[in-house]
Amino acid sequence: MENAMQAPDQTSIGDNKSKISHVKKLLFRRMLVGVNDGRFFMGAFYCMDKQGNIILQDAVEYRSTRRSSPSPMEQRGLGLILIPSSCRTSCHVDCSIDEQLSLLSLQVQK
Amino acid sequence: MEENSSNGVEEQESANKEAAYVPVLNPSIPSGEQTVWADVSSLLDSARNDLRDGELIHGENFNLFAAMSALEIMDPKMDSGIVCRYYSVDEAIEDGAAPIPLSLNKTVDVHCIIDVMDHLLSCEATWHKGHSLAQTIFSCIYLLRPERTPSHALLHSYCTVIRSTCNAIISAVSDARTHEEEDLFTITSGLPLKKDGDEKCLSLLNVIEETVSRQLHACKAPSHKKRAIEDIEPLQTNLDLEEGYCKAVLCRLRFRKHFYHVLVCLRRPQGRGLDLARKHIASCLVELQSILKTAEFLRSNSRYGMCEDGMEDSMTASGCQPIGFDSTLNSRLSAPTPPRAIKILSWKKAVEYFQKLLHDLEAICSHPLDPSFEGVLRFVVEFQKLQPDLVARSHLQLLLVQDGKLYGRDPIFDVICKAAAVPEITKIHDIQKNESFVHLGQLVITLLKILCTNAAWQRRQLGKVLQDWRIIHMQLELALRKEFEESSSTSIDENLCMKIYKHVLNWVEEQTYWIAFRFLILGFELELYSPSEYCMVYWYLYVVLIKLGEKMHFRMITSTETGKRKGKKKKESVKDVARDQSIPPAVLLLQCHIYLAEGLTLMIAALRNEHGSFQCQGPFNTEQERFIQHFELLQRASIPDHISYYSFRDYTTHAQFDSLVMCNYFKEAQRIAKELRSSFSNDANKLAELRHIEQVAEHNGIALNLVSQLGSLDPSLKVSFEFNHHPHFATAVVKRS
Repeated sequence: MENAMQAPDQTSIGDNKSKISHVKKLLFRRMLVGVNDGRFFMGAFYCMDKQGNIILQDAVEYRSTRRSSPSPMEQRGLGLILIPSSCRTSCHVDCSIDEQLSLLSLQVQK
Repeated sequence: MEENSSNGVEEQESANKEAAYVPVLNPSIPSGEQTVWADVSSLLDSARNDLRDGELIHGENFNLFAAMSALEIMDPKMDSGIVCRYYSVDEAIEDGAAPIPLSLNKTVDVHCIIDVMDHLLSCEATWHKGHSLAQTIFSCIYLLRPERTPSHALLHSYCTVIRSTCNAIISAVSDARTHEEEDLFTITSGLPLKKDGDEKCLSLLNVIEETVSRQLHACKAPSHKKRAIEDIEPLQTNLDLEEGYCKAVLCRLRFRKHFYHVLVCLRRPQGRGLDLARKHIASCLVELQSILKTAEFLRSNSRYGMCEDGMEDSMTASGCQPIGFDSTLNSRLSAPTPPRAIKILSWKKAVEYFQKLLHDLEAICSHPLDPSFEGVLRFVVEFQKLQPDLVARSHLQLLLVQDGKLYGRDPIFDVICKAAAVPEITKIHDIQKNESFVHLGQLVITLLKILCTNAAWQRRQLGKVLQDWRIIHMQLELALRKEFEESSSTSIDENLCMKIYKHVLNWVEEQTYWIAFRFLILGFELELYSPSEYCMVYWYLYVVLIKLGEKMHFRMITSTETGKRKGKKKKESVKDVARDQSIPPAVLLLQCHIYLAEGLTLMIAALRNEHGSFQCQGPFNTEQERFIQHFELLQRASIPDHISYYSFRDYTTHAQFDSLVMCNYFKEAQRIAKELRSSFSNDANKLAELRHIEQVAEHNGIALNLVSQLGSLDPSLKVSFEFNHHPHFATAVVKRS
């Protein structure tokens, strides 16, 4: 039992702890969150709660100048922001291709 | 995984029917070099389920308190970038939100332009009241893209004059530099406020006014003349409505023309443009009346407008909504947090606002540019009773103080010398280079500027400068002593120099006490005192007024002496002698105030001592603490000297009703006020003041008698204090509870 608990995260499957610790590994990484009025916010992943609300640090707001893409984007800095889960439509993290593969495999395994 | 993401996209589309296709990722937001955007939403979702209630995923150095300050996205109070209808001004224009011309149907076009003009007036009034340009005038898309309007003469000329007017007002308020209102008023960043060609706004207006005038003339001409004038294209195509629309357009154009002239004339240096400004103000008021009259016609033709508000407080004369306005497009130009929500004034209220503004500006123009400092103070105090708004007050300040001179023409040093009744000598000018005198000049200018601000700000600033005036008095006193010690001979120069210092010292003290007096009475205007504090306020007013009276009297006596010396060659008539020996009317008027303050102090003190009412008790602080809080600034500046809470307590501890002294104060005030009527027969304001004093004195005398005779016998008698006869001297009202 102890061995299983101490096993490295990548090999444990469906272990409750590892999901949270995987998310913890994403902290302070560049995150891109889309909201339901079409805007995007990019910032450092700072915090998340049980409801799925996300706080980004040094966030920048990206806004298209036309509803239909493609169109030039305007951006402005907002600082520390909270994005409620109710308006969040997408969430991406900037990572290497290897990491992306391991993340994909993680999600398939659930 | 791919199934999940496509489902995600579909969910978005169905969830947000308002929005069109919302892309999951935008290629314009690149990831890093050799990195990609990896979708983590399902990872986050499954991790969520594993969290306990209240558990957060966060790193080291996480600060919950700091996290609480995060801006919440999609909360209208915190997120200024929420997309309402359009992503940008350009998108709005492409969608047809601000068409040019407003309609291909000329009647609709004209009607809609009038609605735009009216709504801009409402926005302008709202801006003047203290809101930001971005949320008011520049909610107009036509103004946000000024390069689009030249093809439409009427719209273009109107937009140009609006911009020019705004610039004129912003420059006036900025130059006055009071910073009293929120700085929102003068923030213009990101707004297209200045365009080439704006300086020609008047000629543009003239051209279009001329055209519409001819159109009006043409439509009123009897039919046989029409042939000659037929080559004039009408304003719009419905001949029955031509006269009405022409008139509606003309009075609006003319109002703007005259209003712009008013602003330009008011800024002419040394008050040279005041008379012309008055004429333009009169024209503005005439045009505003005409504009109001057009409302009925426009309302009856509201079918030519966009769509009806159906509101009582519509922002246009016709009751239609105007084309081309969107206040959300600008919200991103301000700070990350959105500006507070504002309500644009209704059109009727906007017209009323401009009528009041024009009347206030007219009051400024009527000022005879009185070179006496006392006259200026009197004028400003009277003007402030109109409760003028920022624009009017800024223009008053700009008139009074220009280039460090009164009205831009009288050097401050000369004004001070005249006010202090300093004897005139030719060699006076060396003194004005003295550091203390220079500083005094600056204090006087600052005082004039402060007196032009709104009541709350004014009181705060007056309290703050009290110490500066105290210090300058000390500095001047030191300088005087130095002169006295250093001068060995008694040359005429030195004697006069000393006289100047003495006169100025007295005048400085007089002004200091006047500032203290104004500080105290503004507290009544701002309702800063509770009835339990009236006693200490009136007492402090009484001690300040006594000092003020002393200084004023001294000044007047020494000035008549100087005058006497000058006029030695003239024969002194009996009248002159009599007048010299009596107390000047201004001092007697002050004496009335002193009596009222004394009477009220003792009356309230007696009520406390004998009936236990108006006690200054509370769970939070003692009467002494309240005394200190109210009069801290005065005490710190030692105004007056040797006055403390204990002086107040000693004065009031033994006040009782059966003392006749109290009654006499009110009687005396009434008597003197009656006698002064003849001295101020030319001054309507002073006569009104005397009337009010008499009323207060009379009513208080009666109340005093009532309470002192019946108070102890009838405990149901309750006394309250109202300000129904005088703004700062209360009248006692006795009722049975």
